[in-house]
Amino acid sequence: MTPRARAACLVGVGETRYAKWGGIPDASEYQLATEAILAAVADAGLSVDDVDGLASFAEDRNDATFVAADLGLPELRYASLSWLPGGGGACAAVANAAMAVETGAADVVVVYRSLCQGQFRRFGRGPGNAPARPGRASVPHVRRARSLLDAHVAFTMPFGMFSPPIAYAMVLRRHMHKYGTAPEHLGQVAVTTRGHAARNPRAVMGARPMTLDDYFSSRLVSEPFRLFDCCLENDGACAVVVTTAERAADAARPAVQIVASAQGAPQGFGHGQYCNVGMPDDDYASAGARGVAARLWARAGLGPKDVDVAQIYDHFTGLVLLSLEDFGFCDVGGGGPFAASGALAWPDGALPINTHGGSLSEAYIHGLNHVVEGVRQLRGESTCQVENAETCLVTSAAGVPTSALVLGRP
Amino acid sequence: MTARWFPDEMPTPAASAETAGWWEAASRHRLVVQRCDQCGRTRHPPGPVCPSCRAVTSDWLELPGTGTVYTYTVVHQAFVPALADRLPYVVIAVELDGATGARLVSNLVDAAPEDVEVGLPVEVVWEDMGPELALPRFRPAGVAPSAPAGARSEGTR
Repeated sequence: MTPRARAACLVGVGETRYAKWGGIPDASEYQLATEAILAAVADAGLSVDDVDGLASFAEDRNDATFVAADLGLPELRYASLSWLPGGGGACAAVANAAMAVETGAADVVVVYRSLCQGQFRRFGRGPGNAPARPGRASVPHVRRARSLLDAHVAFTMPFGMFSPPIAYAMVLRRHMHKYGTAPEHLGQVAVTTRGHAARNPRAVMGARPMTLDDYFSSRLVSEPFRLFDCCLENDGACAVVVTTAERAADAARPAVQIVASAQGAPQGFGHGQYCNVGMPDDDYASAGARGVAARLWARAGLGPKDVDVAQIYDHFTGLVLLSLEDFGFCDVGGGGPFAASGALAWPDGALPINTHGGSLSEAYIHGLNHVVEGVRQLRGESTCQVENAETCLVTSAAGVPTSALVLGRP
Repeated sequence: MTARWFPDEMPTPAASAETAGWWEAASRHRLVVQRCDQCGRTRHPPGPVCPSCRAVTSDWLELPGTGTVYTYTVVHQAFVPALADRLPYVVIAVELDGATGARLVSNLVDAAPEDVEVGLPVEVVWEDMGPELALPRFRPAGVAPSAPAGARSEGTR
């Protein structure tokens, strides 16, 4: 057991402005990362001189070593990058920071994510067969792989499965085939969370109300996914501060408890359905998070019925349904009807989710903004505040090796 | 050259030491899957160790090239610009006959997008993308052969 004084908690949250794709042309992604860290540290009532650790998750372009140097950390004592791909690692990065402070490796660890998609090559375009000369593609051939991932997506990209919406549309199709999940169920997730975003001044889509008719009018991207099934592409950054209960006592803000965390993937799940379709059928048509959920609830000593509000990673509407199933809020296959029942809507639903608007409507910061919203709920500061919220589940991306947190009231 | 369904501008595959044999077989229009030569387990994509018995040796099992559609999506957006005039196209995952647990991502061709469904029987048809690169696509099993070579070859240049 961790001594009570070293129990990890969340004492600060910060973010930059959030803007649609290319909407922040005047600051680099890296600059925004540092702004978000400074904001989170200030929110905690701490100084950068108190920070001795940094954590993020896979594919982060903003190396902790440079961040530490440029922010002038007195000494970097801990730096980690979760291997969990894409959005699977946001909760794991917080969990890794928590383990660092609980073991004494560091005292104050900032977890950060910055994503200015307008400043980089658009994700999901695929490498393409770049023309050797303008206007002329080279003769298609087999290249030498630059990485394990490169060799794996060789079995998907040449077949036009370039981007996450295509890969996960196939997962949803299988789910529809097995369980009868319907397009209306997906639309319900999009409309509900857009409604939550309308109350959130930070939300990129806050001023864009959506009805189910609007949802069905949006163009098809990859069936069954329409444009409004897909998360935003945008610019922005956020950060959270993890420290010990002992240090939190001096912080400016109430300390939100990290009650439990879990991370991982089942056997055969590989890197997720994005580049592996050979896992057992029950796992293919799932978020791949049942093991994570079982370990999370066991460590927390809690279950789905104890959760007051949840921030569920929402790169695609349909995968929210699969996460709700894996974490036990409804039966396997029952995610669609559960969403259609109105359960996910604030304030009257049984399980309000994504009270900030989520990746579909607030911002796509690879789900670290879901941790930020979890902290706000337990401090009583959300723009869709669940009354007397005591327990919040936060999940990271479905469909890749993933992670989750149970957060508790100060 | 075989019939063409996809443009030259599609992403080209990259091979590692573990996967090069698969691509080499494909170039000769042989659909194979990696098989553990100790316990017989088939796996895809290829890897250096058998996940069941952890043997490090394997061989290539040639498959009949038939199977059924496990799942699919009809894609309406041209993530590669050269696909703009070929939309929509169909991506499928194929449950391959003769290779338990080794599914393949590919495309349904020679069929209308609305004809695709889970469980559809399919058979392999090869598309020569270049002299050293052939990709396995699939068409509904038992339909008439594709248009003659070159008939849809605007991508071959």
